[in-house]
Amino acid sequence: MSTTAAATTTTPSTMSNNQGQGQTTIPGTGTGTGAAKTTNRIINNFRALLKDPNNLDEAVNYLYRTLIDDATAGIFIETHHLRKTGNLAALDGLAEESAYRICEMPNLDIFGISTAKKPMDCTCPNCDRLVAAARFAPHLEKCMGMGRISSRIASRRLATKEGTSASSSSSSTYMHSGGDRGGGGGHHAGAGGTDDEDDVDWSSDKRKKKSTQSSRNNGSKKNNGKTF
Amino acid sequence: MTVSNTVDQYTVLTGDRSKIKDLLCNRLTECGWRDEVRLLCRNILMEKAVAGAVTSNSNLTLEQLITEVTPKARTLVPDAVKKELLMKIRTILTENETEGTDNHDDDEDDEDENGTEDN
Repeated sequence: MSTTAAATTTTPSTMSNNQGQGQTTIPGTGTGTGAAKTTNRIINNFRALLKDPNNLDEAVNYLYRTLIDDATAGIFIETHHLRKTGNLAALDGLAEESAYRICEMPNLDIFGISTAKKPMDCTCPNCDRLVAAARFAPHLEKCMGMGRISSRIASRRLATKEGTSASSSSSSTYMHSGGDRGGGGGHHAGAGGTDDEDDVDWSSDKRKKKSTQSSRNNGSKKNNGKTF
Repeated sequence: MTVSNTVDQYTVLTGDRSKIKDLLCNRLTECGWRDEVRLLCRNILMEKAVAGAVTSNSNLTLEQLITEVTPKARTLVPDAVKKELLMKIRTILTENETEGTDNHDDDEDDEDENGTEDN
């Protein structure tokens, strides 16, 4: 009660400036202004009105109704304003597009594509074989003979081949000369020829042995090519 | 003077009206009434927009829309909030009335004394 009394006493003082004392009911003295008189009139009217219980009910309902209407109007205006500025649709946001939804199945990535290995094979232009894509470049290297290792192997093979062909041609020439000489000197020429042959054969054999032994690593490059 | 006018004037004067209004706003927001009414307004606006898209009359009859929304909003208020508010309003109006009459008597006596002193 005391708090409401304070409230009722302070507000009229702000309304009517000439009041020295902040009190609600002041009789119309010489210092009372029009404002004070109106205030009093309002309050007196109200009090008189409220004596009747019917009026009290009506007053309560009326006040409640107006307050609800005010709140409703406020909300409506807010919504309307949002709609006019275009922010109403913006608040809702865009609906999630079913085509762009993230896929969360076990074996699929987020686009829905399977993560299994794809059988991407390429045909080698050289040998016309189907090679796996990951192994394509090394295969080409060996196939076309342009890589480091393949060129080494190739050159080694060439060397041994030259050796054998040279030995075969040289042995044939030596035999001829031996045969001619045989007609003339006989044994020595043959012996010399055979010596030469032997020499040639032995050296080529040596080279052959070397190449076969060193290349006996079955294509593996472990342990520096040596097998135990 | 009508009841409505008097009540309005008095409650505004005493500052009670704003107090009651604040309390009501808080209660309504708590109980979610505000969101429901907002949704209701939005739906009605959509309907009007779809129905009256060709003629832009929906924009002009803003007040009409409000008067349409208000009764629905009134029914949406939960009973508990309504009862609480009614009780509060009643107590405020009645206590002011009774208290005012008591003060009236006291003040009169005080006023007379002070008045004589000032004069």
